[in-house]
Amino acid sequence: MFQHQLECGARGCTCIVSRMTITKELRSMEIVLTVNNLGKSFKDKTVLSNISFEVRKGEIMAILGPNGAGKSTTIRNIMGIMYPDAGSITFHGSPSGEIPKHKIGYLPEERGMYKNVKVMDILLYLAELKDYPLNKARERALAYLNKFGLEGKDKATIEELSKGMGQKVQFIASIIHEPELLILDEPFSGLDPVSQELFKDEIRQLAKQGTAILLSSHQMNLVEEMADRLFMIHRGQKVIYGKMDDVKRQYANFKCTIRGANDRSLLEKLPDVERVEQNDDVITVYLTKDVHPSQWLKHLPENLNIEELSLDRISLHEIFIDIATDRNLLLEAGEVHA
Amino acid sequence: MRNTMKVAKWEIKRNLKNKSYIIGLFLTPIIFLAIFLIGSWVGGDSDDQLVTMQVLVHDQIGVYDVLEQTAAQSGIPWEMEQTDASEADVSSLLEGSENTAYLFIDERLINDGLVPVYTSDEMPPYFMSQLQVLTAPLQVVQLERFGVGEEERELIASGIRFDEQKVGEMIGEETEAGSGDLESMLRRVVPGVFAGIIMLSIVFTGMAIFTSASQEKKDKIAEIILSSVSPTELMQGKIIGYFVLGLIQVAVFIAFLLPITLWKMDFPILQYLLVPELLLFVAISIIGYLMFAAIFAGIGATMADMTTAGTFQSMALMLPFLPFFFIGPVISNPSGIVAQVTTYVPFTAPGVLLIRLTMLEQWPWTEIIISLAVLVISAWVFMKLAGKIFKVGILMYGKNATPKEIWKWIRS
Repeated sequence: MFQHQLECGARGCTCIVSRMTITKELRSMEIVLTVNNLGKSFKDKTVLSNISFEVRKGEIMAILGPNGAGKSTTIRNIMGIMYPDAGSITFHGSPSGEIPKHKIGYLPEERGMYKNVKVMDILLYLAELKDYPLNKARERALAYLNKFGLEGKDKATIEELSKGMGQKVQFIASIIHEPELLILDEPFSGLDPVSQELFKDEIRQLAKQGTAILLSSHQMNLVEEMADRLFMIHRGQKVIYGKMDDVKRQYANFKCTIRGANDRSLLEKLPDVERVEQNDDVITVYLTKDVHPSQWLKHLPENLNIEELSLDRISLHEIFIDIATDRNLLLEAGEVHA
Repeated sequence: MRNTMKVAKWEIKRNLKNKSYIIGLFLTPIIFLAIFLIGSWVGGDSDDQLVTMQVLVHDQIGVYDVLEQTAAQSGIPWEMEQTDASEADVSSLLEGSENTAYLFIDERLINDGLVPVYTSDEMPPYFMSQLQVLTAPLQVVQLERFGVGEEERELIASGIRFDEQKVGEMIGEETEAGSGDLESMLRRVVPGVFAGIIMLSIVFTGMAIFTSASQEKKDKIAEIILSSVSPTELMQGKIIGYFVLGLIQVAVFIAFLLPITLWKMDFPILQYLLVPELLLFVAISIIGYLMFAAIFAGIGATMADMTTAGTFQSMALMLPFLPFFFIGPVISNPSGIVAQVTTYVPFTAPGVLLIRLTMLEQWPWTEIIISLAVLVISAWVFMKLAGKIFKVGILMYGKNATPKEIWKWIRS
């Protein structure tokens, strides 16, 4: 039986942390992109090592990692802008090695457009480069410009638009040719909250329509909301790869936040406590994995001063910070004590 | 190739919609024409401004008719008349008059070679120079009086002329003479000048590849384009696009200049332009363009911004103008050592070859073939090198590549 594996990617650790049967929904998803053991070096520095993941039709797959982790290099290799030193990238499992660029939409991290060219001309040119019929491209361009609040801007030049408007045009350019695979590198950076919502809705809509989406972002809250699966990369190596829910279940232990005048030693002595952090009168108790929250609450001392109490899972943001600061890796190696 | 053509089409369309390109496209021939016409008008005015003078000849030896005929043939605007006035009367006759001169031609011409000239106070400064046209007929009269025969008189009157002959050019020239020489020259000069215009136009337009590549980096659009086409296709598309833009510039240039040239010069320019030699001239121009365009594309991709061009990049921009350093020695001796050596150097070959072929009556075919081979190989090599540089350079943001980095990309 085909199984989806959630693997621990900690350095030196090859164990399978958890093994779950893939859901029917996931199994039915067609694999659009397969990245297999990708490796890349610049001079003597290895920037990617054994990177493997898949992107399926209709899913949003997030690629996460701190600055310099290798996200953009991975994406540039997929796009054929760079060539990997090792490994393979296949589209629909095709062994030809040639990535059909016209089936891929790409929004690079570096934002830019021809400054003194009309919006419609740019969109049509980029659609033409993707072999997309120009009459259809014109219709779609106008529809998207309207949808993104840029009606009547088709004859404006990019330099006449605001930065946010320019980003919307660039986003439209990446999807104008109805790509099968859409690669978005930091799509939300520099956007105001309203535009972020607009982008989020559109990305979700595209996924619903069957577009395979590879999304790279630093904004963990957005990724957490949107992504079906994630691939976390650090120093060019895989750290976490799996379904969002599974990752959260695996890594996002519960934490209990208590506001009140208390001594942290009271809480450190409690069972199933991984670590305790105190900030003035707010104490956060990080619980160990597999703890039952309601059971654990019964252990709270009666004399505890509680003005507020909340119990929730740690966020993807915290997982990301932990990984980016090597806390988890050091924990795995037993170098940090709870 | 389809993607290359798409990029080329885009570059053409984008520039043709660009106001500054359109202005430049028409402004260049207009400025050229304006300079040409202003020069012509100024020249024409100076002819018109030649003052018509009254030249009165007191002729005692019967030479007046010959003098009048000579002046008329020379196009000098004199109103000539014979006069009986004596030298004693001249001062009173000239009083108050202007642009008037009296010539006294008598025995003093025969004995002393002297012609007294009395002029009014108001005389143009060039009058004495104009008078020199009368020297030859007066000398003939003088010699006739000395008893020199008619044949000798004509020979002496025709003066001495220096006829330069070069040994190398004498072979096979026996059959060409008179108007044949002029026609042969025009068959080389007209297509040569035309090819020069083509090369300069496409090289100048091709320099925009430099700007285009660095601008795409500055605008950060390169990565988006490269998600659809390969770096080689992008570079080739630019080269072809700007080549066509250069030809459009040539076409506009010709559309402006040709009618004016035909009108002003009264010269069958098309007859001398549409000759087989033109093919070779144009081929040299195109190969030269391809080589320089590849260099421009490659170097343009190494720059973060046009304004930040370093010494290395600026030097690359100057390469097409290298032949101008050798233009003196090449023109003074088109078969000399400097001309020959620079024919084989890739950067100077197109320009020098055009100049030499325009000037030489007998084309050195061996040198031409070697030079063309050098050019073709150089264009191919530079295309390959530029492709390597372009591939890496176009995605390098924020700084100019150093020569060391460029060398590393080439070697990779």
